[in-house]
Formats: sequence, structure tokens, C-alpha cells
Amino acid sequence: MKRDFKGVFSTTSACLLLVLAACADQGERESGVAVQEPSDVEETQGIVLLRGLPTLGTSHSVAIVELDPEAENFGEILTEYEYSGFEAPLHHLYYSPNGRLYSTGLDPQCSLAEVGLSRGATGAPVINGLECLDTQGQVVGEDIMWHSVNGTQYMFVTFMGGTGLDQADGGSIGVFDPQTNELIKIIEARKSQVGEGEPYIMYTHGISAYQDRMVVTSTVHPDLATGVGNAITIIDLNTLEPIENIVVEDAQPLGFPSSPVEVLFVRPSISPSATPSVLVNTMFGFEVWQVPYDEADKSFGAPEKVYDGAASGTAVPLEFYGNETELFISHALPGVVKRYALDSLPKLVPSGPDIDAEAGAHHMIFYSSASGRSLIAVQNNLLNLGDAADDDPTDVDFLAKVNDHSITVHDLETGERLASVNFKDRYQKGIENLEALFGSGFVHHH
Amino acid sequence: MIRVLAILAAVSAAMAFAFYSGVFGSRAGKATPLHDFEAPFVFGRFQLPADNPLTQEAVELGRRLFYDPRLSGDNTVSCSTCHLQRLAFTDGKPTAVGVSGKPLAFNSMSLANLMWGPRRFFWNGRASTLEEQALVPIQHADEMAQDVDELVDELAGDETYRLLFDAAYGELSPTSIAAALATFERTLVSANSRYDQFLSGEVSLTEQEELGRKLFMAHPDTKASLRGANCIDCHSQFLTSGFKTRFDGFVNNGLDPEAELPAGLEEVTGEPEHRGLFKVPTLRNIALTAPYMHDGRFGTLEEVLDHYNEGIRVSSTLSPLILEASNLDAASDTAAEDRVSLNLTAEETAAVIAFLHTLTDMDFVTDERFSNPFPTE
Repeated sequence: MKRDFKGVFSTTSACLLLVLAACADQGERESGVAVQEPSDVEETQGIVLLRGLPTLGTSHSVAIVELDPEAENFGEILTEYEYSGFEAPLHHLYYSPNGRLYSTGLDPQCSLAEVGLSRGATGAPVINGLECLDTQGQVVGEDIMWHSVNGTQYMFVTFMGGTGLDQADGGSIGVFDPQTNELIKIIEARKSQVGEGEPYIMYTHGISAYQDRMVVTSTVHPDLATGVGNAITIIDLNTLEPIENIVVEDAQPLGFPSSPVEVLFVRPSISPSATPSVLVNTMFGFEVWQVPYDEADKSFGAPEKVYDGAASGTAVPLEFYGNETELFISHALPGVVKRYALDSLPKLVPSGPDIDAEAGAHHMIFYSSASGRSLIAVQNNLLNLGDAADDDPTDVDFLAKVNDHSITVHDLETGERLASVNFKDRYQKGIENLEALFGSGFVHHH
Repeated sequence: MIRVLAILAAVSAAMAFAFYSGVFGSRAGKATPLHDFEAPFVFGRFQLPADNPLTQEAVELGRRLFYDPRLSGDNTVSCSTCHLQRLAFTDGKPTAVGVSGKPLAFNSMSLANLMWGPRRFFWNGRASTLEEQALVPIQHADEMAQDVDELVDELAGDETYRLLFDAAYGELSPTSIAAALATFERTLVSANSRYDQFLSGEVSLTEQEELGRKLFMAHPDTKASLRGANCIDCHSQFLTSGFKTRFDGFVNNGLDPEAELPAGLEEVTGEPEHRGLFKVPTLRNIALTAPYMHDGRFGTLEEVLDHYNEGIRVSSTLSPLILEASNLDAASDTAAEDRVSLNLTAEETAAVIAFLHTLTDMDFVTDERFSNPFPTE
């Protein structure tokens, strides 16, 4: 990988159930007393991480935006918390099972943070601020997953920069106490420090787990120049040690290693009829891989390519998301979300029309409009890179076409695009991440 | 019943008139928005009447009214008589007692986090807004026995009230009395129990509390070896005060056999399937709000758990979620045909109760903002 460009790849994650209470109903009047209007419904609102663009003089922020295409104020930022002091922005939002909001971060000064939320006298949400958490040197936070091991729940966080950006083969998983946010352990096994043929952890990004087995991906060094991975790492959660690497790589359409980015451990809680198995998206390989898992002896089988982007006209597959019936995979190029039947997993059996989003198709949420129409909103941005024509130092040739800076909203059933908002045009900011304000806008993600 | 409906109709008409005449709208811009109010995000979006926002003036007025015995006909009973702050705004009695001295039909309900959820108030859901609810006990012959017109005259003779009503609502009327009481009640936010602190990461639960939490949250599933106390099925809004949809959250929890089922929600809807259904109350501060159930029949949490564990009375409207909830599979539960039982162990029952104690918010019951504003002896 020859090009040296700044920025860091993204991903996201999820949580399953939140303890958030139900949100507002439609406006209603009983006994002559008017109550609030439908605009107060929160299921249609997204919480987004926005990146200030250096050439446009804007600041990084966390914001709440209306995403109901039926609303007059579609695309409007309802409240925003701007923060300064960090060159790079927050990266991915996650609600914990207890309803606390976290964000990973790209800036080494704030690689993991808890976001304060409350409500004011009108009931509207208020973003109170950020508390950067002590990661004990782990940098470039990517994904978060809450998972229980032998009855104890932990917050696992992948750090693509490991314990130092100066490490050519860094990458770590931070194991945190989900109550206190205190770091319990760093899972780390640098390739240069383990024996030949011993399992390693490198450029950690995607994460998923089932029972006492965790899978993380080896994606790319955060400087996007030093190195690229091509494997996943299996971690024994009883010992919190890596036990195996599995290479997921075939053709190299870009001439780079495959760069596995997101991973999903298909398990009974996702699809009761599915045989446990691991799905992996390879960012530079453009492929989706499946790795069989034998629950009886806890062994992983030979990986199999189950989707070939080069042959299918798509590239840079990124995220796995699911609702109750379908699995969705975003492909940054040409900007499309493909969908598969959940009950057919781990086979990828198409379940409906593609959702044609925009270049950089990435994170997504599912919700309903005020009238009850089922929707999907797609955040279209791989990296918030500017345009070289603007002398933007964050511009990169290779990635310049995967940052549409928009959220597009589509009918979930037909894929029809109903509305879009371009954050660069409207707010002079890039959009880094999208989550549903009212908790997980999805069911399955990690 | 006819009297209650008449009162409700009068209140509704008054509220409707106030709304359509723009009385509240004209003063809304004058009062000061409540600036120091903060509530947990996780409680969800709350509903406020568009014509009765939270304002400092309305809260101050409502608090004064809440604690003022002049709201009763003989000036002896205030709202706080049956809703004591130290008991999470309940009164410790099986059923409330008002000016008549006669035990009333229902146990005093706790007042906390009333902005979230409910569209129906009282055990049988006979009021659909807090404003509507507020005037009912004032006018009830056995509760406060006050004629509202006389109350308006009485309060109008008090300069302090004249000023407070003018600042808050621009008028002194039954409507503004109800609005002020409702506003104060809306500010009764309880959000600092040990469980709240657990949710925000400030504390961890003990092993017993954690076991109780898991049991509380689980519906038993013997096929999956999942043990559960089945609480969450009805008490999913246990931190706030009810369900958002109109009659959700009304349940027959097996207190009485068919022949003895009280009317419950049926009294409001007229629907036979609503017979014996009562509002599922908040569990916040539940350790402070004994005795329990709509008629206060259980004196302790242990008795409540005993009821769910082995005292369920089967009837036609019994919640199906209770009917089929057991921690023993049918094959091993030899008495299953004769009784409905959760089959929790003593250890599990104690754990659930330990968890319920984590819902106690001592800040709430000592918060001076919610206390009696009148000098006390």
C-alpha cells in the first residue's frame, strides 16, 4: 500500500436491547387538553457524529437530526454539541445495554468516550458533553461490543492503533468494566512479538462473539500506509488470549491485502435456524467470506468466499446490519446496500431489491415514518475526506469517491429513495456516523 | 359513579374551554420556563400539554396548592395528606382516608415520574390527564369535599395566591388550579435510586441484587432453562409511571376469583374483558409505598411475592402472561393443574425483593423542592 493519506476507516457496531423507555406518541388531544405534536416523536431522529472540515472552518460535533422524510424539518439539526481540542473526531456511536451512549474516537487524545445525554423541561434531548475514558494508551477506537463471559458482562472495544501509532503491527482489544468504564485488560499480540506461526492481533477493527469465542478482524494500520491485514483472529474468552488466525483473502483487486473490516458471528440469537458461522467483509478484497464454526468442538473450518464484489460490480463492503428478518451489507462503491434472508444464513440468499444509496454507503438505521412507513436511512461516507480542488489536506485520490457526505432515506420494502440530506452542502461538515437517537436502529450488527 | 362522571365531564369541559379560548396560550409567554429542570434521557420523551408547559411560576403555585388544606371543604385535608413525600407520596394506609373519615375505595398511588407514559390515571384509569385528575379528589365528597367555585373564592381572598395565579396563568380558576397541581406533580422526578446509579455506571449491584434484577427481567422459560420472576411482562415501565397507550398497562394480576372480581377498568370502559383490570403502578420507591395493590391488601413485599409465587386466583380476565408463567415444567409440577405458581425458590424471592429495594430514591423523598412550603410547627 503505497499511498500515504490521513484519516481512518470506520465501522460501527451495536447493542441489542436498550432500557430506553418508550418515546412519544402521535399528538393527541383528550378532554380538551392538547398534547405535543408528532414532531416530538423520536423514533425518526438520528444521532450523528459530524466532522468539521478544515477548509470550511467548521467544528466536530455530535448532533441530533430529523430523518422522517414526511416531516417538514427533514434533515434539520435539532440540537448539536460542538467540541474542540481534537484534530480527529469521534468515530462510532453505540448504546450500551443499559442505555448509556458511547463513542469511539480517532484522535489519540480521545479514543473512547461516554456521551452525556439528558432531557430538559420540554422533554427534548440535550447533549451534555463528552467524557474521554482512560484506555491506557490504546488509540483509534473502532467498534464496541458488550458480551457476557461466564456470566459476567464486559465492554470490548477494538483499537485499530493498538497501544501506539508508532507500532507497525499494532492493534488491541480493550476489555472494560461496563459499569465503571475502567479498563480491565488489554488483549494484544503483536505479530512481531509472538512466535512464528503463533496467533496474532493486528489493526483490530471488526468484532463479534458467540459464547466463549470472539472474532476480530485485521484491517489496516490507522495511517493507511504502513500495512494492511488479511486475516481474522479467534480469541478464547475464557483466557482472553488469541488462539487462531484465519486468512480470508483471494484475489487482490486493488493489489492490497484483503483488509477484513467487519465481522458477524451468525448465531442462534440472530437466526435460530442458522448453523453458527462467521461472515467477514473484506474492504480491499471486495468480498464476503464465510467461516464455518463447529459448536461441538469449537473449531473453525475453512473459509469460503460467498460474495465476490469484483464479479458483482460492487466494492468496499463495510457493514453488517440486521432487522428481524433480513441481513443488510453496505458496499461503499457504487454505494449500495444489499439484503439477504436472515433465516437462510450463513448463505447469502437475496431477500429484496438493492437499496441504491450513494458513494460511501456505510452505516444504517431502520425506523418508521410518522405515517408508519418502514424506512432505512443510509449514511454515505467512508471517510470524511475533502476535495483536492479545495486544497483540503484530507483529500485522498483513492477514497475521494466514497464520501458523498449524505444520508439517504429509502422505503425499506422497495428501496425507493424518499429523501436525502447532504451535510457538507447544508452544514459544511462531513458525516462520520449515524445511530438512531432512540437506541439501536437495528437488531443485529456485531 | 354518576357523580364521578359528572365531575369528570365538568373538568373536561373546563379544560376544553380553557384551551379553545386561549386562556393558557395568552399567559404562556409571560411565565418563566423551568430552567433548572433535568431528567434522564433513558426515561424517554415525555408529554406535556401544549397549553401547560413547565414554568417556574406554575411549579411554585402548584407546590403551594398541593400542601394547602384549604383545598378541602373543612380545611383539614390537602393533597399531601394522602401523598406524603417521605413515603414517595403515598400514605401508608391500605386505602386512603379523607374528610369523611371513611376508608376510600383505593390505595393512594405514588406520585413520581408522572410525565412519562400514562394516558390514564387512578387505579381504574378514570382520568386521562393529570389536569383532569387533579380536581377529582378535591370535589369528591369523601376525599376533600370542596366546591371548586368556593375554592376559587377562598383562594382569591389570599393575596399570595392572587399574585401566584396571575404570574403563572393570568387567572384564578378551576382550570388554573388543576393546571398548577398537575405541573407540580410533573416535576416530581425520581431519578437517583441505586438502580438509577447502576444504570449510569456509578455503582454496581450486589450479587443478590443482580440475581434479582435478572429474575425481574425474565419471563420463565423452562425449555431454555431460563428462570424468571415474570415482573417485566407487566412492569416494563417500572422506572417511570405507566404505559403510553390508553389502556395498556391495565392488568388483572390474579388477586380475586371470578365471582369476586371488582369492576376495575370496566367501570371506565364498560367492557367485560376489562373486569378486574387495574393500572400497573410504578415500582419506583416500592419499598416505601406499602401496603400494596389497589386495595392495599398486602402489607409487605414478601406478601406480594408470595401472591405471585403461589396465590394467583384464576379468572376469565387473568393476564395470560401470569397464567402460563412457571419455573417448573408441567411434567414436574404435580400441582400445576390446580394452581398457578411461579415456583420461585426462597432465595430467588429474596433476590427479587433485594432488587426492588434498589429502586428506592432517598433524594426524592427528601428533596426540598418537593416538600411542604408552608412553615410547620
